[in-house]
Amino acid sequence: MEEKFEPKIVAFVCNWCTYTGADLAGTSRLKQEANARLIRVPCTGRIDPVFVIKAFESGADGVLISGCHPGDCHYNAGNFHARRRWTMFKNLLEFVGIDSTRLQFSWVSASEGKKWVSIVDGVIDSVRAKGPFTQYKKMNKAIEIPVQTGEGVSAK
Amino acid sequence: MNELKQICKDVLTEKKARLIIGYSEDKNKRVKPFIARTPEDAEKLVFNHHAVNNLAVYISRFKNNFEGKIGIVVKGCDLKAVTALIQESQVKREDLYIIGVNCSGVVRDIDQEFSKDNSQIKCKYCQTKTPPYFDAIAEESKEFELTDDDQQELMAKIEKMSAEERLDFWNEQFEKCIKCYACRQVCPMCYCEQCIAEKSEPQWIDSSATARGNFAWNTIRAFHMAGRCIGCHECERACPMDIPLTLLTRKMGMVASSEFGYRPGMSIDEPTLIGSYSTSDKEDFIK
Amino acid sequence: MEELIISTENFKKIVQELLDKEFKVIGIPEGENKYQEITDGNKLSLHPEAAPTNSSFKGYFFPKSEPIFFYKQNHSSVDLFDPIEDKKGIVVIGAKPCDASALPIISKVFNWDYKDDLFNKRYDSSLIIGMSCHYKDDYCFCVSTKGSPENTKGSDVFLTSLENNYFKVAAITPKGNSFIKEYAKYFEKDGKKYKPVERKEAIPEHFNYEKVKTWLDNNFENEFWDTAGEMCLGCAQCAFVCPTCHCFDIVDEQCSSCEGRRAKNWDACQFSLFTKHASGHNPRDNQEKRYRQRISHKFKYYKDKFDEILCTGCGRCARGCPVSLDILQVVEDINALAEKS
Repeated sequence: MEEKFEPKIVAFVCNWCTYTGADLAGTSRLKQEANARLIRVPCTGRIDPVFVIKAFESGADGVLISGCHPGDCHYNAGNFHARRRWTMFKNLLEFVGIDSTRLQFSWVSASEGKKWVSIVDGVIDSVRAKGPFTQYKKMNKAIEIPVQTGEGVSAK
Repeated sequence: MNELKQICKDVLTEKKARLIIGYSEDKNKRVKPFIARTPEDAEKLVFNHHAVNNLAVYISRFKNNFEGKIGIVVKGCDLKAVTALIQESQVKREDLYIIGVNCSGVVRDIDQEFSKDNSQIKCKYCQTKTPPYFDAIAEESKEFELTDDDQQELMAKIEKMSAEERLDFWNEQFEKCIKCYACRQVCPMCYCEQCIAEKSEPQWIDSSATARGNFAWNTIRAFHMAGRCIGCHECERACPMDIPLTLLTRKMGMVASSEFGYRPGMSIDEPTLIGSYSTSDKEDFIK
Repeated sequence: MEELIISTENFKKIVQELLDKEFKVIGIPEGENKYQEITDGNKLSLHPEAAPTNSSFKGYFFPKSEPIFFYKQNHSSVDLFDPIEDKKGIVVIGAKPCDASALPIISKVFNWDYKDDLFNKRYDSSLIIGMSCHYKDDYCFCVSTKGSPENTKGSDVFLTSLENNYFKVAAITPKGNSFIKEYAKYFEKDGKKYKPVERKEAIPEHFNYEKVKTWLDNNFENEFWDTAGEMCLGCAQCAFVCPTCHCFDIVDEQCSSCEGRRAKNWDACQFSLFTKHASGHNPRDNQEKRYRQRISHKFKYYKDKFDEILCTGCGRCARGCPVSLDILQVVEDINALAEKS
């Protein structure tokens, strides 16, 4: 039986709002899909666009970035700086050929457990519909172990 | 020509600047960057249609070496790089002696004569034929017919492609990259003492010239130029593999302008794009 | 040895046979001026009067990035995998003497204290068909580096331009001899049938190498170096397009958390990190020192170690340099200093 494609989503979430919101979703026993791997950062302002590239390199089919609502940043203005960065980066990625479905953004506060679930499920569903990011995975070819005809040599 | 030499001679004689970064002609008539340190050196300074180089890249190299001002010969486009460096606190206005030159276009192929077909795309839409500010100004300039901006056509073609086609197009371009970093070294805005590509713990950007490493390098460099690139096109000129780098930087410039009304290198007092924010920045793409 | 000639048309037929036999044929396609893998014998161009390509063909023997081995962690041990070998023999067609002569030069360093099989396997099974050069510009200086536009060093077979799109063919090595014997039916024996095409201008001698070498031997601290390379931006354009530059970096790259490869990549002494030690100390911590290294390595150290000049005078570095730093002019300045003292 063919395995159905399950997307791998990497979610960069800020500690104070979204991560806490996701935690609330968990403690409230809200049902959600399990494809997202969360990476906690102190603030969305910490997120360097190179993280997104690295996520795709490592096999992510989609990336979600989520943080505090504007005005609520624990560090006052981190998310304002991030917001501007994202406009530029999103446009760049679209121009270079990475569809906007694969990089999504949201504001989720610490009390928005339900919103978190709907955001994450939405991202997972849209990336599942888009399919695996084979174009990016093909770029890894030079680094991957080539298909060998013989056995590898074990070394301790 | 003589006006520029005289200005530079006076600057060095009167010690208004300790050195002048300018252009000179070598034995093969190639115009290249040159440092004039004495009034005799100033005799060798030239400016003509072959003075393509953006000399602002040398400011970061020479600024810490000594006391006294750095003199620099700039065209309008180069001055934007100087302004952007001042905006980003890399050099102070009072540490520079800016010798502006009126420019009516520079060559694309440095080994051929200047002509309509041999001029840079940036010259076609140049708004700064006379540098907007300076400590001295030289050169009368004539009007010249300039090449067409065929880059816009290519950009439109790319915008019409699907995402998959675009990624294929860019991968085909980036596969040519040999990671010589000429694009970075020639750029006045790439002044980081340790580039992100040189960091190995962790290695964010592969140093290998593979599809993956090249995509990461070129994309991240384009992002680091977002809102900072002043469009001198030196990166594309320096690239030995003919990768259309200015398509990326120009796109970023267009987004900065359309989304934020910001153009880098226009005013030394203006806060930089990514270094500042507004509480009313657009966020319609954020759920 | 009888003189053999061949028409361009027949030569392209040999190329087609090589392609049918699954050789990797490298040449310059018609309408472009860069080395590429040729897939159609008819698209190959043989133009002795063309300028040197932007980059050399060293990438086919010493790629810009190649795997040394792949690894996979396996609980408490590690499995290693060899890269897939490209079994196709390489045939380079139409190499100018300034390119062909570079291979035996760099082969010495790749067979010095360690026999580099990655290079050797490709080089040993290759065939280089050189071609005499009829090009000249202000950046060419092959004669000063003990080469010439007719230099057969590094070529197995050498073509010389004749009228009527014919070439005179000479076997330079035993490999070249076997090649000619194998495709004997395409060659004609009438050696005097067509006149050779004369070169329009000779390449002069721009500097006296012995004088330059002696100066370099004795002037490490000379103030000449304070300004010789001060305009250098520190990119690697010159090193990467050069047919003789061979420095490399070895890196480990991860593909996933337990898999990856060890790779050999082009590196350049002009990069600021090239000599940075793990302690943080960098003996060549400014561009002036790094440029001194480049000139000294090419014209002194390599001669001392391997009795070869690490430069064939092709001029690519100067043509492509973003700040037009011209190696010929630097060496001519050194020659002038040498003559003064």
